[in-house]
Amino acid sequence: MNHITLSIEASVATLTFDRVGSGANVFDKQVLTELESHVTAIEHDDSLTGLLVRSAKPSIFIAGADIKTLASASSHELAELLELGQGVFDRIAGLKIPSVAAIHGACAGGGCELALACDWRIVSDARVTRIGLPETLLGILPAWGGCTRLPRLIGLAHALGLILTGKLLQGSAAKYKGLADAICPEEDLPTLAYRFLKRGKRHMKGRFLEHNPLSVAVIKRKARVNIMTKTRGLYPATLEALDVVCRGVSGSHEDSLQRERNAFLYLAELPQTERMIELFFLNERAKKLKPDVAPATAPKRLNKVATIGAGVMGAGIAYWLSTRQKKVILQDVSDDALARGMMRVYKLYQGSVKYRVMSQTEAARGFDRITPIGGPIPLGDCDLIIEAATENLAIKKKIFADLSSRCGPDTILATNTSALPIRELAESILHPERLVGLHFFNPVNRMKLVEVVRTETTSPETLAAAVAFVQEIGKLPVVVKDAPGFLVNRILLPYLLEAGNLFSQGVDAQAIDDAMLDFGMPLGPIRLMDEVGLDVALHVAQTLAGAFPDRMSVPDILTRMIDANLLGKKSGKGFYLYGKNKNKSPVPNPAALALRDEARDDTRGVDMAGRLAQCMTDEAALCLEDGIVATASDIDFAMVMGTGYAPFRGGPLRYSDDHDICLGKFYT
Amino acid sequence: MQILAAIRTPFTSMGASLASQAAADLGRDAATVLLAQTGIDPEELSEVIIGCVCQPVDSANIARVIALRSGVPKNVPAVTVNRNCASGMEAITTAAERIAAGRGDLYLVGGVDSMSNVPLLYRPTAVQKFVHLAKARRVGQKLRALLGFRPADFSPLIGLQLGLTDPYSGLNMGETAEVLARDYRITREQQDAYAVKSQKKAAASRDFFDEEIATVYLGGKSISADDGIREGSSIEKLAKLRPVFNRKTGSVTAGNASQITDGAVMLLVATEQKADDLATRYGLEPLGRLTGYAYTGCDPRSMGIGPVQAIARANQLTGLSLDDADTIEINEAFAAQVLACCKALSDPSYCQLAGLDTPLGEIPMGKLNPHGGAIALGHPVGATGARLVLTALHELANTGKKRALTSLCIGGGQGAALWLETS
Repeated sequence: MNHITLSIEASVATLTFDRVGSGANVFDKQVLTELESHVTAIEHDDSLTGLLVRSAKPSIFIAGADIKTLASASSHELAELLELGQGVFDRIAGLKIPSVAAIHGACAGGGCELALACDWRIVSDARVTRIGLPETLLGILPAWGGCTRLPRLIGLAHALGLILTGKLLQGSAAKYKGLADAICPEEDLPTLAYRFLKRGKRHMKGRFLEHNPLSVAVIKRKARVNIMTKTRGLYPATLEALDVVCRGVSGSHEDSLQRERNAFLYLAELPQTERMIELFFLNERAKKLKPDVAPATAPKRLNKVATIGAGVMGAGIAYWLSTRQKKVILQDVSDDALARGMMRVYKLYQGSVKYRVMSQTEAARGFDRITPIGGPIPLGDCDLIIEAATENLAIKKKIFADLSSRCGPDTILATNTSALPIRELAESILHPERLVGLHFFNPVNRMKLVEVVRTETTSPETLAAAVAFVQEIGKLPVVVKDAPGFLVNRILLPYLLEAGNLFSQGVDAQAIDDAMLDFGMPLGPIRLMDEVGLDVALHVAQTLAGAFPDRMSVPDILTRMIDANLLGKKSGKGFYLYGKNKNKSPVPNPAALALRDEARDDTRGVDMAGRLAQCMTDEAALCLEDGIVATASDIDFAMVMGTGYAPFRGGPLRYSDDHDICLGKFYT
Repeated sequence: MQILAAIRTPFTSMGASLASQAAADLGRDAATVLLAQTGIDPEELSEVIIGCVCQPVDSANIARVIALRSGVPKNVPAVTVNRNCASGMEAITTAAERIAAGRGDLYLVGGVDSMSNVPLLYRPTAVQKFVHLAKARRVGQKLRALLGFRPADFSPLIGLQLGLTDPYSGLNMGETAEVLARDYRITREQQDAYAVKSQKKAAASRDFFDEEIATVYLGGKSISADDGIREGSSIEKLAKLRPVFNRKTGSVTAGNASQITDGAVMLLVATEQKADDLATRYGLEPLGRLTGYAYTGCDPRSMGIGPVQAIARANQLTGLSLDDADTIEINEAFAAQVLACCKALSDPSYCQLAGLDTPLGEIPMGKLNPHGGAIALGHPVGATGARLVLTALHELANTGKKRALTSLCIGGGQGAALWLETS
C-alpha cells in the first residue's frame, strides 16, 4: 500500500502522507514501515538538499497513532511498535539534510512527534490546524520521542503544560509557545518551507537556566502538586509523563527513549487506560451518532434559533450557539433578566478572549449574533426554539402554547427541562411531532453532553435534526426516553440524596466531598448541590420523588435550607459559605450545620465512597432496565460526559462490572 | 414610498448610559430589534442606507458595518450618507430616489451618531512630528525627533467642537443661533419659555416614547428611556444659566439649545407593491408614505432659518400648505432658531429676510412638536432627521390623523422638509 509518496523536485525530497481509503492519516505498523523505507532511500540519496513532510488530506496532517491498533495490540507488539517509531523518527532527526514539517490540519500525538523530529515546523493559520500531544488523556504518554524532544525544543515548563493537559494548540498559539517556527496561510506553506530548508539544520539552543537540576526539581515539584490537587493522583499517566519528561531534559537521548517505552508499556496494561480508550471510542461514536429510526430525508439544518428564558441556562445556550455561528434571538419576560443574561454572555465572551479561545473580533461577531428582545415578536423564520424558562409545568405549557402561535409550522420546539415530563407539553402545541427535549448541562460552555429526549410524539425527522444539531454545535448527544429525570439527573439524584442524608446524620460535608473526590468525581456531591442551586436540586428531587416514591424522597434538610434562604453558591451560602475570593476554597456553613437533626455520625468505618457510588450504579441499572437508553455504554458515556463521573472508572455500570457491585455483568 | 416600521434606541446624553456604545453598536441595537419585531428576512433588502455625521474612524462606511453586524446578508450593499444634521432624512430620501428610479424595493434606512465617541485630535503640527519620529531609524534621529515636541503639541483639538463649527463662515452652531436671535429679534425670555414648554411636553410623553424605543441591554442593565428630559424644568431655573456662545450679551444657553446626545433610529421603507406583499406575508401595516420633500440652501451664518425655504419648496412640489399638516415637527436645534423660523414663515416684516416673498402662514403652536423636541430629547446629529419622521408618523398613528410635515435646519446652511401621510 502507498500511504506515503516520496517525490523529489529541485533536489528537495517531499514525503506526502495520504492514507489510502481513509479521510485521516494515522500511524500503524504498516505506515511506519513504509516511512522507514522512504527514509532509507533519502539517506542514500546524496543529491538531496532538504526534506519536506506534508499531508494531502484537507483537514488532517497526521492524527496520531491508530488507537484501534494500540487497543488491540499485545504488549510484545506494542514494544515492537514503540521501537519501530522511535527508530524511524530518530533517523529523520539524524538526517544530514535539513527537514521541515509543513503542518495544516490536525497534528496530534504521533503526528506531532514526527513533526518534532524534523528540524523546522511551520503551521497554517487555519482553524483546523491543531497541534499537541493528547496521549495522557487516553491514559498513556507520548513514547515516540515526544516526551524527550518537546522539552528540549520549547523548555520544560511549556512542555509539561502541553503534555500533562493533552491540550491541542492552534497555529498562533503553537508559534507563541515555540512549538512552531512560523505561521502562514495554507497556500503559502511550500514557499515558506523551502525558505526554512535554506537555513540548514537547526541548532538547538541550550536551556541551562531552565534545565539545570535545581530548576528542574522546582518545576517538577510544582507540577506534581498541581496534578495532585487537580486529580488526586488518580491518573497514573500524568505522573509517569511528569517523571519521564523531567528526567529527559538531562542525560542521554537513548535513556530517555527507554524510559518512554517502559512507562508506556506499564500504562498500557492498566485497567484505567482501557477505560479511557473505551471512552475515546464512545466519544467518536457520539460524534457520528444517527438515531436508529432514520428519516427518509437528510436532517434539516437548524440555523436560526430562539432561546426562551435568559437565566443561567438560557444565556449559556445562547452564548454557545452564537459561538457556533448560529443566529440567536434571546427572549425573556423580564427586561432585567434579559439584561443580566446578556451580561452573562458578555462575560463568557470576555473570558474566551482572555484565554485565547477566540480573537477580540471573533468574540464581537459572536456577541452580535445574539439579539436580546422582549415582547411577542414573530418567530416564523426560526428553525429551532429552545425553551429554558422556570422549571414549572404550568408556566411551560403557557410558553409552548404562545410559541406555537408565533413560530412556523415546522419550527422544532425543544425544552431544556431537566426533569419534567415533556409529553405533557405536546397538548399545548400544534404539530406535536416537532416537540423534543434538548437537555444541556450547566455550565453549557464546558459540559459536552446534551440529552436529546425523544417523547412519544417526536417524529424521526425531528429527532434526526435535533441529534445532527447537537453534533454540529460541537456537543455530544445521547438519545433518551421521555421519563422523569431522563438519564443523567435520574442517576445523579439518589446519589445526591444519599449525600444529603449522610450530611443530616452528622457526617462532615467536607468528608463526604473528599471521599468522592478520592473516588474521582470532579466535584463532591455536597459542593455539586451548592453549585447547581438547592432550589433546582429540590425541584428535580420532587419530580423524581413523585415518580419513584418507593425509593426516592426529598430529605428534610434540603427544604429546611431553602426555607432559610441557603440556596447554594448563587446566594453565597449553602452547605458551604462562598466568599468573594474565588481562589479560596469555601468553608462549611455553620447555619447549615445548625439545621441538621441531632448530629450523630454513625458512619465511622463505612466505605462512604462505595456507598455513594453504588447509589448511582443501582439507579443506572434500573434506567437500563426501563429502556431509557439502549445500552450500558450509553449510560456510562452520558454519566462521564454529563457529570464528570470518574473517567478512568468508565462509568457507573462499568464500575459495577469491574468491582462486582451488582449481580451479573452489564458488558459482555 | 411606504414607511413600514420604525424604531429608535433611547436618546441618552453624551457620556451617559450609552456612552460605551460606538455609533455602530447603537445602529446594530436598533436595526436588529426592528428586523426581529417585523420578522422580515433581511435577505429581502435591496440596500442599507444610513446617515451619520460624526463618522467613526474605525468604521469608514458605518452603514456597511451596521448591516453586517445586524445579520444583513453579505450580498446586500450598504451606503453611508451625510447631509450633516439632515443625514437621517437623507437616508430616507435617498431610498425614495432609489425606489423612484426602480433600483430596488425594500430598504433599511436610518441615522446614527454617538457624540460621546467623537475623538480628541492631535494638532496637524504634532501629527507632523509623530511622522518624523516614526520615520527616524537611528537613535540620534529618534532623539532629535522627540526633542522637537512642545507641550502645546499634546493639547488636543476637540473633535466635537470642530464638528459643530461651520468651517466656511467660521461660526459655531450656537453662534449662528445668536445671529438668528439678533436678526429676528428673539429674546432670551422667549427662548427660555419655548425650551420649558418643550421639556414639559416631552415629560408628559414618556409613554408615547416607550412605544418607539427599543430597549438596549448593556452592562447588566436595561436602558429604555431618554435621559435628557427634565421633569422639573422651569423658566426661573433656565434664567439662571449663562449664555454659552456670547458670554456678555448673548441669549443662547445650554438650557434653550438642543442637548448633545447618543442615539440611533432605523426604518424599513418599501415600494407600494412590496409593502402590499409584506403586509400579506408578515401582517405588517405600513405607518405611512412619503409624499414629497425638498432640500434648499441658505447662508451658513444663519443656517437655522433653513427650514423656511425648504418648507416653501416642499409645499410647492406637493401642492400642500401649512394648513394641511395635522402635526408638524421642526427640529429644535435651538429655541431661537425654531422661533425665528415660525416668525419668518408668518410675519410679513421678516419673511423676506428668510428669502420668502410672502409669508406662508402661521404655524399653530398646538401642532408644532407636540411631544417636545431636541431641547428635551437631545440631538444625535445623524439620527435626528429620521427621529422626526418616526415621531411624526407615530403621532399620526396615535391620533388617527392624516398629514405630517417634518423639517430641520442643517449646519452649513441648508434646510430639509418632508411631507408624510397615512393611507
